[in-house]
Amino acid sequence: MAGAAVFAICTVGSSWLLRWIIDEVVITRFDTNTFSLSQTLTAVGLLIGLSLIRACGVVVRRSFAGRAQWRTAQSLTDEVVDVIVKQPPQWHRQQSTGDLLTRAGVDVEASVAVMAPLPYASSVILMMAIAAVGLITTDTALGLAATAVFPALIALNVLYQRRVDKWFDIAQGELGVLSAAVHESFEGVTVVKAFGAENRETERLAIIASRVQNARIEAIRLRSLFEAALDFVPNLTNICLVVGGAYRVRSGDLSVGELASFIYMFTLLVFPLRLIGYALSEMPRSQAGFDRIQSLRKSPIVEDPRSLFTHGSSSLVLDSVSFGYDDTNILFQNVSASFTPQSFTAIVGYTGSGKSTFVQSLAGISPIFSGSVTTADQSISFVFQEPFLFGTSVRDNVCLGESFSDEDVDWALRIAEADFVQALPQGVDTVIGERGVGLSGGQRQRIALARAVIRRPSILILDDTTSALDPNTEVKVLRNIKSGLPKSMVIAVASRPSLIGMADQIMFFDQGSIHGPTTHVELLIQNESYRSLMQAYEEPQESEVDSK
Amino acid sequence: MTTPRVSGTLETLSRGVRAVPSLRQGIGFTLFLAMFGASGRVVVPVVIQQAIDHGLNRSVRGTTQMVDVALVVKMCLGAAIYLMVASIAQRTAVSRLGQRSESALFDLRVKLFQHIHQLSLEDHNDEQRGSLVSRVTSDVETLSQFFSWGGLAYLLNGALMIIVAGVMLVYDWSLALLVIFISAPLVYVLRRVQAKLIAAYDASRLANADLLGNTAELVTGAETLHAYSAGAVFGARVKTSSKIRGDRQTKATLIGALLFPSGEIFGAIAVSAVVFVGLWRGSSSGLTAGALVGFIFLTYRFLEPIAELTEVLDQTQTAVSGMRRILGILSIPAGPPPAEFPIEVGHQPLDIKIDNVTFFYRPRDGEVRDENHAVLSHINCVIQFGTQVAIVGETGSGKTTLGRLLSRFSDPTVGVISIGGVPLNRISNESLREILVVVPQEPFLFSDTIAANLRFVIPQASDQNLIDAFTNVDLQDWFASLPAGLATMVGQRGSQLSAGERQLVALVRASLINPSILILDEATSSVDASTEVRLTRALDQLSKGRTTISIAHRLSTAARADRVLVLDSGLLVQDGSHDQLVDQPGLYSEMYKSWESSHNTAD
Repeated sequence: MAGAAVFAICTVGSSWLLRWIIDEVVITRFDTNTFSLSQTLTAVGLLIGLSLIRACGVVVRRSFAGRAQWRTAQSLTDEVVDVIVKQPPQWHRQQSTGDLLTRAGVDVEASVAVMAPLPYASSVILMMAIAAVGLITTDTALGLAATAVFPALIALNVLYQRRVDKWFDIAQGELGVLSAAVHESFEGVTVVKAFGAENRETERLAIIASRVQNARIEAIRLRSLFEAALDFVPNLTNICLVVGGAYRVRSGDLSVGELASFIYMFTLLVFPLRLIGYALSEMPRSQAGFDRIQSLRKSPIVEDPRSLFTHGSSSLVLDSVSFGYDDTNILFQNVSASFTPQSFTAIVGYTGSGKSTFVQSLAGISPIFSGSVTTADQSISFVFQEPFLFGTSVRDNVCLGESFSDEDVDWALRIAEADFVQALPQGVDTVIGERGVGLSGGQRQRIALARAVIRRPSILILDDTTSALDPNTEVKVLRNIKSGLPKSMVIAVASRPSLIGMADQIMFFDQGSIHGPTTHVELLIQNESYRSLMQAYEEPQESEVDSK
Repeated sequence: MTTPRVSGTLETLSRGVRAVPSLRQGIGFTLFLAMFGASGRVVVPVVIQQAIDHGLNRSVRGTTQMVDVALVVKMCLGAAIYLMVASIAQRTAVSRLGQRSESALFDLRVKLFQHIHQLSLEDHNDEQRGSLVSRVTSDVETLSQFFSWGGLAYLLNGALMIIVAGVMLVYDWSLALLVIFISAPLVYVLRRVQAKLIAAYDASRLANADLLGNTAELVTGAETLHAYSAGAVFGARVKTSSKIRGDRQTKATLIGALLFPSGEIFGAIAVSAVVFVGLWRGSSSGLTAGALVGFIFLTYRFLEPIAELTEVLDQTQTAVSGMRRILGILSIPAGPPPAEFPIEVGHQPLDIKIDNVTFFYRPRDGEVRDENHAVLSHINCVIQFGTQVAIVGETGSGKTTLGRLLSRFSDPTVGVISIGGVPLNRISNESLREILVVVPQEPFLFSDTIAANLRFVIPQASDQNLIDAFTNVDLQDWFASLPAGLATMVGQRGSQLSAGERQLVALVRASLINPSILILDEATSSVDASTEVRLTRALDQLSKGRTTISIAHRLSTAARADRVLVLDSGLLVQDGSHDQLVDQPGLYSEMYKSWESSHNTAD
């Protein structure tokens, strides 16, 4: 704020200096035709000195404002991050990813954006106050007339920003639509080409591009209008000041120097006024961003389903549990089951029968709505069907925040049959993901498996984790897990006969009911629906047998 | 260092204008309007000078003689009218520039869409997709930014500086030269500070990208992080990148804070010099008080645009490199070139002939073609109409490439593929796509309804046509199970459907065309059992009465085919029916044995 005050005072001071130079130095010099070196040097020295002080004021003001702005941004981001980390998956499923990212990115930036011009705006207001007093004391009538233009200019600026921003926002939105459409069209280029639809696609994209173009042109049209007006009004005011000034000079109330300094001061204020307009028009956006962050920060933290698990039994015991997508959409009620340590259970069923939700509830990733789950300890590793890998090294992806030795990492990768990692440019330290080496679905699944086994969990849950592996590798991986983690209980969602064949017991999810855990043979004998599913699995093989 | 860059810049600009001729339209008149508009900005200093010299001259405080108010009013009135006209001219210039450039950029975008869609599939691989998209979006945006800010600044500030310099020279050429001489180093200082500033902003943009990337992972990976209780560690990572971003932004702001003072101090020096020299020379050199005061105002006006102009130089560099990248895309030759004298081929029973086909990938810049590494070499084969053919081979054997050549997504380097005796590259694209349909490995669906995805092929198809198509390939039961029938949304890339279901939609889509030749690139990933049954059924229906060529990953497909082509390292090593080949010693029987052993149930 000190910098702001220095700036304001110096700016007004420089216009007074100009007046003195014109009245006392320039006019006198030309009227009397005598050159005073000392006076001239004083004028020049004052001019340069004042601008140096003004420059320092600006540097101080802006650097402090910048620091305050980004410190605030940092603490807002931290708050958003804390909420994101604390909330369990069921909360995350109800949020849109884009929305959360907006909070942490755009909203934080918008909240603090208003802080940057704030010290400047306050210095401009101070300057205007001093200048207004200066103008009015110099010449009451002209001063009042000139200061009356300030609010009008501020209003014009605010109106300008709002009106033009609206169109720029529309253009920005349409540009987002265009990017998405272009990405989709290029991604599907094989289909586009396969059906000779190149021209049709170009036309479709051109229509979206023309919407971007139209919004832009509208913004530019408005902007050119406002820019011209914002230039014209102060210039016209200046001319009016000359006319008014001429009368005042004739009546002897004003000197020529005073008039010039008057006009100079007015000109000096025109540009800062635009910034005030900008700051004012940014205010609602900042407020909205800040409000969104606050509402996120104040959202109640949903209870972590895992914290509701009880411990004590060596088996995994479900006692009349109900689970589902949410409390209005319960899939199964009163499910009771017990899984003994070291058992290998395959979860089998048709697509959409609730297998994934069930195993997620076992792992405490999805909530249960009644009943209880008892486990030996907290050590459950869950592997998702579509594994999420972070844009960091293979090692970091496997360790995921914990520290493990090189031997452990190698061991886990070996269990998961992820020998391809050795062939990557930097081995386990190769960065993967968007900004690194691209991996196939099967390779991603194997890294996710290594991530689970390295923790040597007492319960390992696999949600159809080996679907992208070829059947040979799938069998190898499961054998490795059995021998490498002999003490672990394995529960795996299975969609291939080979995996079903390896399991000790099967849990079969049929429309609306759960059978088992029991043996494969038992289910084949007792359950019609299970039999026909197994037949469907066998069919592709049968056709080979036919052709032999 | 500057010379090659400047010539490169000019060359890029002229190539750009040639690529989009509409950029040049009416630019002369726009320039004239801008000059006229800028002249309005010097009116005020000139009026002040004239008023002091002729209207208010020699008026000393307390004396009233010689103040010619009428003259001042007359001058001001004239000035006001001039100003108004100049404002309108300026407004028109800005608006014209904006409209012309936006419509030129629209033309450029459409040109890019067209061209990129015609690029060969090799230029459309996954790694390059992002950059292709950003050519049409962000690179065209940098040009748009340039025209609406940078280009505008050149236009207005350039015009202003020229006019102001002109007026200053007319007033007093020696004072004018003095101002220009003092301002010259300002350009250098500003460039230095701006270069630092840009580096600082680049660094903070990188930090910002890191922050956004890490936050995105924290959000999208929330389930995984929760499952492994790793949220705190990754949350801390985001906080660190947020701190780095804040620090870099603060640094950039600090450097930015130096820009204004440089202009300010140079302004003070220039004005001081004008005052000193003006006073020292006095009226004996023909200088008047009014001229000196007017000159002081002109000096401020002259310096104002310099800061903005130097700032724009970097934007220019950005825009030019954006333009260069765009021209780079436009200079990539389009995929297989359209036939020069296209021949229409109708729906008749046509044989396919592959005649001595060899294929190399087009060498990338600086690469030398390695003649020993042909993807396919000397393939010869005739496929009779109505045959079910399976092409098999290990990864890298060239089977996918052969499929692409048959689909005319690429042309063979040597040799000819012909349908009914007409080489593929002489058949018109429209008629080729009617007789030959490709179902790709990962069938792409647009994020829209099932109906829209089917109508992509035949826009005028009625709902009943579409429903019939499901029935024709024996998928009426699956269709009945869709939650909203034809209006079912498939999600991004069809993510609401399973991989198998996406293939079902792709088969229905292909059947709508009713092609004579069907090329199927089989999916590698597993499909759940019930969908697998449906797929097999639909394929059986679809292949009736057509030539079907499957790029087979599953040997069960090969077992069902009439004829199997076995590729090994780009050579056609075996050709015959499954029954013949399976007992013959060779690649096929080996592949089949290992495949069979891995597909047996249980241990």
